[in-house]
Amino acid sequence: MGMEQAWVLPAIPVVLFVLIALFNGLMPRRGDFLAILGMATVVGLVFLLLLDFTGSFRAGEFVPGGSNVFAFDWINIGQGFFVIEFSTYVDAITMVMLPVVTIVALMVMIYSTEYMRGEPRYGWYFAVLSLFVAAMLTLVLSGNLIQLYLAWEGVGLASYLLIGFYWERQSAAEAAKKAFVTTRIGDVGLLIGIILLWRATGTFDIQQIIAAATSGQIDSTYLTVSMLFLFGGAVGKSAQFPLHVWLPDAMEGPTPVSALIHAATMVVAGVYLVARFSPVYAEVLVARDVILYVGLFTAFMAGTQGLVSNDIKRVLAYSTVSQLGFMFVALGVGAVGAAMFHLFTHAFFKALLFLGSGSVIHATHRQEVEGLGGLRHKMPITTATFIVGSLALAGIPIFAGFFSKDEILHALISDGPAWAYLVLAATAVLTAIYSTRLVLLTFFGKPKDQHAYDHAHESGPAMTGPLVLLAILATVSGFFVFDQVGEALGLAGGIGALVYLDQPHHFTTLDWTFAAGAAGSALAGVIVGWAYWGGDAKRAVGARSWAPDLHAFLVNRWYMDHLFQAIIDRVILGLASVVAWFDKRIVNETGVDGGAQTIGYFGYRLKFLQTGKIPNYALGMAVGVVALTLIAVGG
Amino acid sequence: MIPIENFLILSALLFAIGFYGVMARRSAILILMSVELMLAAVAINFIAFATYLDADAFSGLVFALFVITVAAAEVGLALGIVLRLYRERRTANVDEADSLKW
Repeated sequence: MGMEQAWVLPAIPVVLFVLIALFNGLMPRRGDFLAILGMATVVGLVFLLLLDFTGSFRAGEFVPGGSNVFAFDWINIGQGFFVIEFSTYVDAITMVMLPVVTIVALMVMIYSTEYMRGEPRYGWYFAVLSLFVAAMLTLVLSGNLIQLYLAWEGVGLASYLLIGFYWERQSAAEAAKKAFVTTRIGDVGLLIGIILLWRATGTFDIQQIIAAATSGQIDSTYLTVSMLFLFGGAVGKSAQFPLHVWLPDAMEGPTPVSALIHAATMVVAGVYLVARFSPVYAEVLVARDVILYVGLFTAFMAGTQGLVSNDIKRVLAYSTVSQLGFMFVALGVGAVGAAMFHLFTHAFFKALLFLGSGSVIHATHRQEVEGLGGLRHKMPITTATFIVGSLALAGIPIFAGFFSKDEILHALISDGPAWAYLVLAATAVLTAIYSTRLVLLTFFGKPKDQHAYDHAHESGPAMTGPLVLLAILATVSGFFVFDQVGEALGLAGGIGALVYLDQPHHFTTLDWTFAAGAAGSALAGVIVGWAYWGGDAKRAVGARSWAPDLHAFLVNRWYMDHLFQAIIDRVILGLASVVAWFDKRIVNETGVDGGAQTIGYFGYRLKFLQTGKIPNYALGMAVGVVALTLIAVGG
Repeated sequence: MIPIENFLILSALLFAIGFYGVMARRSAILILMSVELMLAAVAINFIAFATYLDADAFSGLVFALFVITVAAAEVGLALGIVLRLYRERRTANVDEADSLKW
């Protein structure tokens, strides 16, 4: 498996999608084993590819720009005027994405065999998961923007289908629609950005565009605008302010889907896109500042919302939005390495947390944290792995989130404004607080719903297996921060040199004094959470009476959804009614119907010229002949 | 040789009579006969000019033959229509056959 054959990776799940979608009724177990076998093959191939990649790096053959291979012209109009290729492009950023996507997808598929057992449309579920993986792999392997856009919409489609998987439920159908429409708004920005870049460079090839943009061939204002539009696509897909509203609602989908699509892979597509274009963003600092502040605001806002949510999955969803904000902050100060590293660790511990919450929901059929509690006695494996995930999310040392979050904070304090650092550090403390709250309310204390507690049971091996494996990954994936790990794997210069080639100074080996501060604040967050929610259950529920206005503000998501609804109702529908009036009265009744009616009126008046009497026609002919003759002789 | 004016006057008279017949008569048969008169006027014109302008050329004469042929065909067709009309309406008065309108 060399880089030239990377196209095989998305090809396998595409074939599986078609097979399972069409023939799952004929297959034993509705074809789930096929999807899992295919996914396992892809994981194996990714590791072979990884070996090939590191091998070429060791041999000194590695080109920092990566390599663009298996290209053929898909569309070619006007002898090279408008060319769209299919090509795969493999570089360090791709090599971070591939294991994340494939490993989490495999875990989720195995987990789903138990979680989704007995559901209607079981085969269709696995088919769409395969479709999603195919689109996601195409996305990260794509060498040109049109192909990327195609895959971008492909993952959006899979996300839509899976959020609305339980479409019999009104709220699920609404959430699917909301997710699709909201991300579409961003996608339009992405498409405009792609067209603007094509207009300036005449190509869709990502590397050629980057080369043209970094060599100053494009006017800098024009470039700034294009890159901001491109970022608009990332804002929609990665649920950043103001298009973040869809992600909490997306929790209507089956929980394994939330783990795969709405935590680990699809939502980081925006981060991937900005990271992919990071050399260009380094040229347009205004756009980069926008990314920084959008990320910062989103991280803080979602963090506060996670603090009060009563739904175990929604807490995780807010936390995902918040952590994506962290990644964009890193991108906003140009620390691509830190962003990709956090993406890498976050994928594992957040997928773990989602699958853990799925295990709880599967056992108790409840997902409001205020109705749970004490589950540690009944579900030891789920509890242990969930705690590992929460510690990683909170940023407690030795767990993965600590290292990656530390990198981001470090990059921010080196290259960003001081107040931004303070906000992000406060958000990190918030993260620790709500992670602690979630664990305490779910697994500790007294059970608040005795009935649900009595029926709770530990999940089977198909669910706990992936949990344990992801818990291990959520711990060790942070160790990639150490150069020694890279050297132990035989990579000269360590992981940092391989993955973060273009900005090595951003990826420092741990600064222990600084890290101690980060660890201390995370710990402080945990202690605050413990002190508040560690006590009896009444106090936990009583949190809302402490500051009711603030609580209402947070529970209502800063009234952001209300605001958007008001904007849609007043401004957009108002504007639409004006446009509708114009269309109805001016365009239709005056323009289209008016023309037809005028002609109809004249036709009505003129039709009486036809008498049906032969002498009249004969006279007309005679007069006509005389007139024509007079004209012909020039009289 | 008879001067050409005589032929032209004859032809014009025939044409005018035919035209009057087409305009003034109401009977389909009479209108047809008037049309025949007009065609005959045209044929006379052809022959007169053919002989006066170039006595060796046949083109004018051939045209006259064509006119006669067309006239015969036209009568054959038109009489058929008139016959149908009469069978249908018990009249050959064209004023009464005016339903082909709005």
